[in-house]
Amino acid sequence: MSQASQPPAWQPPPGAIPPPAVPAPAPARPRARRRGSRAPVVVLTLLLAAAVGVGAYLWLTTVRWQEDSALWEDRAREQAAEVVALRAELDGVNAELVAAREQLATATGRITELADEKAQLGDETVAAQRYLDYQTRVTEAAGVVATALGQCTEAQSQLIGYLENREAYDPADLERFAGDVQALCDQANRANEQLQQELRR
Amino acid sequence: MRAPRGVLLASSLVTSVALVAGCGVLPGLPDAVPEDIAPTAGPSLVAHGRENLSPDGFDAVQRMAVRIRNVGCAGLSTGSGFAIDEHTLITNRHVVADSEVLQVSTYDGRDIEVTAASTAGLADLAVVRTDDPLPTYPQLADADPATGDPVTVVGYPEGGALTVTQGEVIGRTTDPLNENLGEVLVTDAPVEPGSSGSAALDEAGRVIGVVYAKTSDGRSLLIPLSTVEQLLADADAFAALPPCS
Repeated sequence: MSQASQPPAWQPPPGAIPPPAVPAPAPARPRARRRGSRAPVVVLTLLLAAAVGVGAYLWLTTVRWQEDSALWEDRAREQAAEVVALRAELDGVNAELVAAREQLATATGRITELADEKAQLGDETVAAQRYLDYQTRVTEAAGVVATALGQCTEAQSQLIGYLENREAYDPADLERFAGDVQALCDQANRANEQLQQELRR
Repeated sequence: MRAPRGVLLASSLVTSVALVAGCGVLPGLPDAVPEDIAPTAGPSLVAHGRENLSPDGFDAVQRMAVRIRNVGCAGLSTGSGFAIDEHTLITNRHVVADSEVLQVSTYDGRDIEVTAASTAGLADLAVVRTDDPLPTYPQLADADPATGDPVTVVGYPEGGALTVTQGEVIGRTTDPLNENLGEVLVTDAPVEPGSSGSAALDEAGRVIGVVYAKTSDGRSLLIPLSTVEQLLADADAFAALPPCS
């Protein structure tokens, strides 16, 4: 097997003008490859950092919202308990209100009845008073009539006695006495007529 | 060399945009829960049936009505009336006629002292003055009622308990009793002897007339408000009530 050998390095021909010195070109490919491979790393690192930050923030948010939710639930339960108590109280108050209204209606109805009873009693009292006044007037009139008729009767008896013994008396006196007796009896008759009128009322 | 930088910049840009946009989408932290969550302004409570409220449970319609007892020379009679101010009553002339004593009592049985009475010559109306203040008095309506308008009559029919009846205005007619000048109102609100002098009220509780008679077919006759106002405005329309003989 023949051994491979490297060709000899190129050398300028003798006497030739050496070309100007040119810096050797940089090895571009390897550097671009390194930068190209760093970019995803940076992006991924940023994304990772962002994801971690977002995750932390979401965790914190979740915890805070959970606490907040628990507090709201407590508040809601307190309010619900208060609503239940207030509803029970309202039901009781409404029941009392209904009972009070019924009592008020009963009371006003009773007041109306009592006012009516009082008015009827007043009417009866007035009517009774009027009847009592009437009875008083009739009684007084009857007394007057009885008195007048008694005086009339007594005077007439006295006149009859005088007339039986008329010789013993002056005729003029007898005439005057008879006139007085007639006037007395007329007065008694008028009183009697008034009584009859009163009784007919 | 351009491509990697562009990618880097684009990636950074995309990441920044994603972060900014993500921050906008992410939920914020909750506000602190307040200690008291009750609303500062409570619900407004409006009392229902307030128009029926009064110091003693009676409504104004009942409180203004009075019962009038006429103790006359010829006998005893009763009628109704109503207040138009603190010391003045309106009733019918025939309710107070031939009276020796007038006795007035209120819805709750209180007796009111009468100081004077006067009657109108051109209508079956009378005005009674009282010494004691009357419980309440209604407003007068703006005008006479129209046919079909509802009417409420409050009074003491048959001299009995205070009664409120309802009906509506049927129309107008000339006075069949020739007691009043002009036309009178006809309603189907039930009335009885003793209701004379009762106030006839509209839906708002304002006076629209005064009951003075009942027809043979059970309808009630009212002196219209216009006649009442016309006579009340005339100082010479009323004369002192003559004593009974």
